[in-house]
Amino acid sequence: MRYTTVWLIVVFTGFTAAAARLMYAQFDAGQYSQKNSGAIAQPAPPAEADGASYSVTAYPLYPPELAPGAGREAVQSYCATCHSTRYITMQPPLPPETWAAEVDKMIKVMGQPIPEDVQPVIIKYLQAHYTPENRKR
Amino acid sequence: MNEHRRLSRRGLLQSLATAAGVAATAGFGAATNLLPQQSQVSGDEKLLPTFTGPAPNPYWNSVGPVVQYPQKFPLVLLTDRPIQLETPRHYFETAFTPNGAFYVRWHLDEIPNAVDLSVWRLSVEGSVERPLKLSMSDLTSKFKPLSVAAVNQCSGNSRSKLQPRVPGGQWGDGAMGNAKWTGASLRELLDSAKIKPDALAVQFQGLDKGKGPEGRGSHEFLKSLDLKDSVLDDSIIAYAMNDEPLPMLNGFPVRLVVPGYFATYWVKSLSFIRVLDKADENFWMKTAYRVPDTPRGNTNPEDVKGGKVRTVPITRMPVRSFIVTPNGEKKLIAQLPVIIRGIAFSGYGSVNKMEVSVDNGKSWASAQLGEGHGPYSFRTWSIAWTPPHPGRYVLAARATDGKGNVQPDEGVWNPGGYLWNRIEREQVVVGRAS
Repeated sequence: MRYTTVWLIVVFTGFTAAAARLMYAQFDAGQYSQKNSGAIAQPAPPAEADGASYSVTAYPLYPPELAPGAGREAVQSYCATCHSTRYITMQPPLPPETWAAEVDKMIKVMGQPIPEDVQPVIIKYLQAHYTPENRKR
Repeated sequence: MNEHRRLSRRGLLQSLATAAGVAATAGFGAATNLLPQQSQVSGDEKLLPTFTGPAPNPYWNSVGPVVQYPQKFPLVLLTDRPIQLETPRHYFETAFTPNGAFYVRWHLDEIPNAVDLSVWRLSVEGSVERPLKLSMSDLTSKFKPLSVAAVNQCSGNSRSKLQPRVPGGQWGDGAMGNAKWTGASLRELLDSAKIKPDALAVQFQGLDKGKGPEGRGSHEFLKSLDLKDSVLDDSIIAYAMNDEPLPMLNGFPVRLVVPGYFATYWVKSLSFIRVLDKADENFWMKTAYRVPDTPRGNTNPEDVKGGKVRTVPITRMPVRSFIVTPNGEKKLIAQLPVIIRGIAFSGYGSVNKMEVSVDNGKSWASAQLGEGHGPYSFRTWSIAWTPPHPGRYVLAARATDGKGNVQPDEGVWNPGGYLWNRIEREQVVVGRAS
């Protein structure tokens, strides 16, 4: 009686496992990406000792991949002071004169001190990778 | 948030049902026929493009990845510093948007991760006889609590639909939400501070700071309302959102609620109220968030270049409506009745007429309006439809508000990318029933 049950379980499990293998073959399982750097830690439930302080965990960052090319480092160091470079990758492809105007606004209106010799490097980079003619990513 | 729980459970059931369906066909279906199709679904799943343009964004939401943030359900990422997150379409099936799904838009990157209410105070200063420093318990106990259901919509909602495209946050349609806001009356608070007779405007500032130099828009975010503006009488300093404390990203501990006005005035983590005796000339009033002083705020790139466009600060939200389901992702079945559902709102008073077209706007039928939650709330609507035969249909939705404003079928263009309210469309494919 007992053995029968065990055998039944073994056979059933075998069938299920085979079916599962067949089924899983249809899926791409276990795909993980190095790009998922935006994980946030799960907060512990609040404790009474926390009193009147209300908090959340650190906000995650999702750094974009800027197009490789001359001027990328300048963009990363000067444009990312106040905002992440996702501000660039989020935009639609923009005409070259719009990119020049945006950089000009960041300097004159927003007050970002970009050295004069670096300004054209940044503008050229944006114009080389983020216009309707050349944007790829 | 029972509404929300129901929603997620339904979502879960749907995914389980889908998974079960796939499993069933994988196990017992005709393998020869199904194998290539399924590997297409799993292995080569098509993803949205990483950007849209120079044509209009053809999707309902923006195309960014879906990401996780504290106190939030997965939302669509626009930028991570400052944080800008968009609400996915399906959350608009209900009149109230769950706090966890509510969109997020900050202007500056140094925003609070923690607020200690034993230290935090809301200060009322400037041209007042009696400056105030109010704690959270002052706000909840010394002022009569008021509640209002009101839509909070980003001025740039749907910016990605403009032609030509304009720089800025490339929102789809999900930079909006509706909540029941509870808090202290702004008018009562200003009265208790006794505004001086020379005062002109009242300025609001939160706890957010930017890394730009002092005196620039990149350092502080400041917004003002004219003291003569009657919207001050409807405004609330909200400490509750849908009967819960505000999520940190939506402006904990309190935010300004300006019913009917675009969200730019709804200052988050509000901590300074400054009564001014002169006009506010800061960047966020004088340069940003301004619209052409023309019908619908419409203009064109040539007139802007020619310096011909006079601008005024953006204020009320024009009438809008959205189709939420069907969403075009799945085929409908010929002769099988479905319900077309959505939401509508206006900053100029309740939506009192809702029309739906299933022939791309050639003919219109009246939809049924859902329960009213006051003049500033989303209002749900629905209409039954039986697709007569297989093919492609273009659904359209058109709202009319209490002031008689009807949604137009023309887009709008201005350099800020504001005030989009064109009739929305949804293309659906109907398959054969047998």
